[in-house]
Amino acid sequence: MTTPNTSNIGARAYPTAGKPRPPRGRALLRTSYAQDMALLNTPAKRWSTLALIVAGFLTPLLITDDLLQVLTLGLFAAIGAIGLNLVTGYAGQVSLGHAFFLGLGAYTAAVLGGDAEGRLLGLGMPMYIWLPAAGLVAAAAGLLIGPIAVRLRGLYLAIVTLGVVFLGLHIFREANTLTGGPGVGRRAPDLELFGINFSASGGIPGVDWTRDQQLFLVALVFLVIFGVAARNIARSGVGRAFSAIRDRDVAAAVIGVDLTAHKVLAFALSSFYAGVCGALYYTVVRVIEPTSFDLLLSVQFLAMILIGGVATISGAIMGAIFITALGRIAIEIAHVVPFVSSSVTGGGLFNVFQLEGILYGLLIIVFLIAEPRGLYGIWIRIRNYWKGWPFSY
Amino acid sequence: MTDAGSNHDDAATTGLGAATTLPLRIRERARRSPAQIAMRDKNFGLWEQTTWNEYWETSELVGHALLSLGVQVGDRVAVHSENRREWLFADVGTVAVRAATVGLYPTNPPPEVLHLLRDSGASVLIAEDQEQLDKALEISDQLPQLRHIVYIEPRGITGHYTDERLISWQDFLVLGAEHKAAHPSAVDELAESAQPDDLATLIYTSGTTGPPKGAMLTLDNVEFAIERFARKEAFFRPAATSRDIMVSYLPLCHVAERAFTTWLNAGVGTQVNFAESVETVQTALREVQPTIVFGVPRIWEKIVAGIHIRMSGASRLKRAVFGVCMKAADWIGDTLVANRGQHTVLTRLVYFICWVICFRALRERLGLRHTRYAASGAAPIAPELLKFFMGIGVKMHEVYGMTENSAMGSANMPGRVLLGTVGEPHPGVEITVDENTGEILTRHRGNFAGYWNRPEATAETLDAEGWLHTGDVGEWVEDTHLKITDRIKDIIITAGGKNISPSEIENSLKASPYVKEAVVIGDRRRFLTALIGIEQDTVGDWAQQRRLAFTTYRDLSEKPEVRELIQGVVDETNEKFAQVETIKKFWMLPKELDHDEGELTATQKVKRSAVEQQFASAIEAMYTDRVPEGAHQ
Repeated sequence: MTTPNTSNIGARAYPTAGKPRPPRGRALLRTSYAQDMALLNTPAKRWSTLALIVAGFLTPLLITDDLLQVLTLGLFAAIGAIGLNLVTGYAGQVSLGHAFFLGLGAYTAAVLGGDAEGRLLGLGMPMYIWLPAAGLVAAAAGLLIGPIAVRLRGLYLAIVTLGVVFLGLHIFREANTLTGGPGVGRRAPDLELFGINFSASGGIPGVDWTRDQQLFLVALVFLVIFGVAARNIARSGVGRAFSAIRDRDVAAAVIGVDLTAHKVLAFALSSFYAGVCGALYYTVVRVIEPTSFDLLLSVQFLAMILIGGVATISGAIMGAIFITALGRIAIEIAHVVPFVSSSVTGGGLFNVFQLEGILYGLLIIVFLIAEPRGLYGIWIRIRNYWKGWPFSY
Repeated sequence: MTDAGSNHDDAATTGLGAATTLPLRIRERARRSPAQIAMRDKNFGLWEQTTWNEYWETSELVGHALLSLGVQVGDRVAVHSENRREWLFADVGTVAVRAATVGLYPTNPPPEVLHLLRDSGASVLIAEDQEQLDKALEISDQLPQLRHIVYIEPRGITGHYTDERLISWQDFLVLGAEHKAAHPSAVDELAESAQPDDLATLIYTSGTTGPPKGAMLTLDNVEFAIERFARKEAFFRPAATSRDIMVSYLPLCHVAERAFTTWLNAGVGTQVNFAESVETVQTALREVQPTIVFGVPRIWEKIVAGIHIRMSGASRLKRAVFGVCMKAADWIGDTLVANRGQHTVLTRLVYFICWVICFRALRERLGLRHTRYAASGAAPIAPELLKFFMGIGVKMHEVYGMTENSAMGSANMPGRVLLGTVGEPHPGVEITVDENTGEILTRHRGNFAGYWNRPEATAETLDAEGWLHTGDVGEWVEDTHLKITDRIKDIIITAGGKNISPSEIENSLKASPYVKEAVVIGDRRRFLTALIGIEQDTVGDWAQQRRLAFTTYRDLSEKPEVRELIQGVVDETNEKFAQVETIKKFWMLPKELDHDEGELTATQKVKRSAVEQQFASAIEAMYTDRVPEGAHQ
């Protein structure tokens, strides 16, 4: 008599390979956790994402160049906002130092990618070197800040990161050979990839596109890459550890989350995003001026995630586009409202720049009071209204 | 009685050739389509799939294990579990070794468990978890014939119990594997040598009047039921196939759920889905979106009550849209009823508009979006409810059958629905109405073999000509459709000598979302009265919206405002009935009726005598001139 192999008797045949789709028309019937965790886990999400991307790629054909430039800046800023959201939104570590990391990325890119023959230090390296390097140098700086965050919380951490901004500002002002000095600045490198110079009109062979159209396209591609990467970080074990730390770090430590490692990682990841954002953003602006990396810039990025939506990727994108477009929105308002002048010297009660500042303040106050979840929260409300149809819950 | 012609026809539709018993059908499916999905079971948020091959292999192991435990041909194996795949494995494995399955309701309290196990004489009990195991162990010293108890969920049992009769499901299957290694074809041989009159299962009646009796269903009875399901002209049109998806949630020890889960699945290969537990059925329905749904009236009542509760909390716009669509649904339902369930051009147009703005989403929330066939049976249902579902586009059919005829009686066929009737007899089913008593008699291959160990009860039910006396009073409508008036025993004869069917009145009351239970009383009395139990969810919601504070069920049902609300329901019902059939007084039940306290059967049917006895003083008070307690009049 042969002894039967009894080890796996009655063992359930769990679905293992890949992520088999649920039966047609039954997206909720999940047969594996992979389906449950998928980024686009319902047909509605799949279709709307596809539609959004298609619309994104059609945008450069439909919108005038000046508007397109505003959007391009918004898309690049969104990468930085996503980075800030990783550390502040997901991991709950308030950081006012984002401007420093943006500057670090911008100058790393300028130095590595800058003109080797020029007035300032430049190494003339290609983009596939200066872009990752910009991220990595910023990330390295983030790694240095990280350990401080392990010891400090809340306001104290905010003050320390505030100090970082002032230190950075001082360095950027004084390092004249790298930054060009205050009031002068230096040129940002050109966006040149695969032999195509996106920073010059008609750069894509065979397509008659302007500089702004090309840059928008590049921005969209980079944003999709970094956005998807961030979503994946957020839904992975690391992302869940971040959320656990945000909700209560002591409790997170109790359930086995390594606080030091994850706080440091959060700062490093966030700084990487900031570095890349800084490098890319100034290829559109063209000139990097050292005094622009001040507290105001940090606050602007905080405003992006607060108005967009804390701890959401799509919220960070919405917020970034909205805040970068605020200047333009103020100008449009000035055209309509009589007592706002559209220039600094003109009459009226106040000018567009003052209006922009007022809008900032008002928006942050209104969002914090009325919709703390930001633009994303408004979207969620609208979505839930239709999702529950014909019920309300 | 059997028609050879239809046999051939059935074999052709199921495509299973000569396989003609439940286990052989499953073995045949496992051979022909081993990798197809037979069932899904939700555990830890995932629907784990079982293929036909796994279904048969595990059932075969169960068979071997039973043989190894000394189960003989004709023995009984009891299963005490919620619906899950092990229930089906146990059932098929048991029948494969020519033993019979006895199902116990998960809600059965220990005294009933004792009655069922002792009456059936089961030698093996398969208990789901610690809860069911404890019930059996509590009374097991009175069960000398119970030799083995298999438990499926080891949580709380392993390492805590020392009873030597216990064996875990895992070890049970290992036992089967060892037996299989020693006797590889033992189960196959037994399954192939099965005879049509082998006892396949004992199904205990709910026992509204006395202790439950075990109805003996043979392999041939089950086969008859499976063949009806597989035919084109019984129940479904087009016929059910392996693409049809179902959710199994009613107790499997009831003949209706066994028919729609195990038999239909074996007969045509539908995919059966088991929810995590009874509480999560709503979620399961929504995820699975079944194509075929069978429900008892209580389930449909609850769904409608749920819609009303959730709607009352919805925003203004949503309520307005819903209100308009419900008016349309009402009209569509009326037209469909008048047209035997068939659409006209106009109803199709109106339905399409409502589908876009409301019904599609509503049905999706309820889990009925893809439902092509819904059925209600096992108890009488208010026609208003059926009409509601027809109005929102769920093709609802009332069906009729009982344990004693393998659930095969009559059914409303798609496109030939006559509301208020239970439809036309299935092909191969003879139904007649006794001229003297009005009792419905059925005769076919699915008629049971008798009550277990109760020859006198069998003789009362099955007559010499093979007619089954159903105990239901009914009549023919348009010569084709059968209408059931009531149970013979329940017919009320008032002091004035008028015959009244209480269930019609009760169902009309229960059609209101605010009423859960209604018991009409009036046998040998001057007028009718009713005991009414409220639906706590809906009435509670209603009270909250009126800022009416309440604490308990009793407190809520004794509020004068609630009494007024129910008075409105009663008045509405009274308008529909003749003067002698109106309810003159009613009394609010101060508690929810309960299975554990013997007021309801395991299938949630009211035990009239028990209720009447328990609330005798309240009933008497309604018939004397003094104001009944709690009436606030």
